[in-house]
Amino acid sequence: MLASFDTHIFWEALTSSPYWKGALLALELTFVSLATACAIGFFLALGRNSRFWWVRGFVFFYNWIFRATPTLLQLLFIWNALPQLWDAFAGSWFKPFLAAYIALSLNEAAYMSEIIRAGLLSVDPGQELAGRALGMTRPRILRRVIVPQAVRIIIPPTGNEFITLLKLTSLAFVISLHELLTAATVRATVAFRYLEAYTAAVVYYLVIVSVLMVVQAQLERRFTWKSARRRRRAPVPAVAHDAR
Amino acid sequence: MRDAVLRAEEVQKSYDGLAVLRGVSIDVGRGEVKVIIGPSGSGKSTLLRCLALLEPVDSGAVWLEDARVSGVREKELAAHRSEVGMVFQRFNLFQNMTALGNVMCGLVEVRRLGKREARERAFEFLDRVGLRDKADTYPEELSGGQQQRVAIARALVMRPKAMLFDEPTSALDVELVREVLDVMEGLARDGMTMVVVSHELRFAHHVASSILMMDEGKIIEEAPPEQFFSSPSHERTRRFLALVE
Repeated sequence: MLASFDTHIFWEALTSSPYWKGALLALELTFVSLATACAIGFFLALGRNSRFWWVRGFVFFYNWIFRATPTLLQLLFIWNALPQLWDAFAGSWFKPFLAAYIALSLNEAAYMSEIIRAGLLSVDPGQELAGRALGMTRPRILRRVIVPQAVRIIIPPTGNEFITLLKLTSLAFVISLHELLTAATVRATVAFRYLEAYTAAVVYYLVIVSVLMVVQAQLERRFTWKSARRRRRAPVPAVAHDAR
Repeated sequence: MRDAVLRAEEVQKSYDGLAVLRGVSIDVGRGEVKVIIGPSGSGKSTLLRCLALLEPVDSGAVWLEDARVSGVREKELAAHRSEVGMVFQRFNLFQNMTALGNVMCGLVEVRRLGKREARERAFEFLDRVGLRDKADTYPEELSGGQQQRVAIARALVMRPKAMLFDEPTSALDVELVREVLDVMEGLARDGMTMVVVSHELRFAHHVASSILMMDEGKIIEEAPPEQFFSSPSHERTRRFLALVE
């Protein structure tokens, strides 16, 4: 027998302020963390191919640390251990949101650096060569030629990372950040209506991810280099071996 | 002495201990068209890349007009590169820009021209290669021949002192070769200084001031087309021509 599903309780949970505030907070945290992670990840990706061994070494070490340890542990570390290590973080200004933001950004940067590196590597080396032949400097070639083309490759896995990160924000409830899962847990335990409380949270996550999928499709189209928005595959240009 | 636009002196270059150029000297005078032929692996493309300042030389020197441009700092090098036009075998058009955007790119990013002026000049040069109506088309949608003509316009618009072509037609379908060669012949007629790596012997015969034969990292023969084809002095050249013909 299926137990009853109380639509009224469900609806009340769905429209309650802790829910949508929690969802908004989760979304905010995801956005700022991912944006920061992209920025850090970009430089980490460049650092991987640096001509200085210590830069390459640092990137390796960074990625190793942040990928080998649990995100939850990193979160707890930043929130609880960092203020003990460094007095400046012991003040009341150091809020759960900030701690979660730092932890998730640093963590995500390690993953983004690999994605961005793959994107940069996917651009035909002939593109950089042509830019150099024109007299463009390396930063300019990166900005005008390589990065725009790499973005096309980077978008889909970054969409994945967004989703992963959105769900990771729920970990932040252990450092008493009032995000969506906190709202659901609180509501569930108050009335012992787990079913309705959790289902309401499910709906929020589904809606957010669905919106993201639409945005991602738009972005991918934006970075497709065709004059018309035809989605046909263009013929592959004849490729001969590159004689030295 | 006639004035040389581009000059290489005893250039040596090796990759991972493998000698690719073993003391190459070339002297390209104003308005001259030098065509370089030779078997693959003979160092033709590497020589061209050294002349385009895309590869540092191990020893020897490269001169652009009166300036020694080998062994200078990267920042100066970028400026010198913009004075030499380079056309690649595989076009290497910027995939994220339209034909017009490709031609404008050097003017905007290197010459720092305003958008409007850059656009006007880019149009002028697209016109010159007969592709004004393809201005808003992305490379992926152009034929190989059209892409190569845009690539030529992209290099020309910088008003280079010399143009270098690295097997500009060898990645093209047979019926698209002509349109590219036509553009290049027009350039030669207008007095452009050119170095062309190509096995289009008919083109070489018509256009070249002299033809150079490379083998195993050296220039083994240089002669005007008539002489080069009718009585090559080197046995290696004779064998090579027999194979290419």
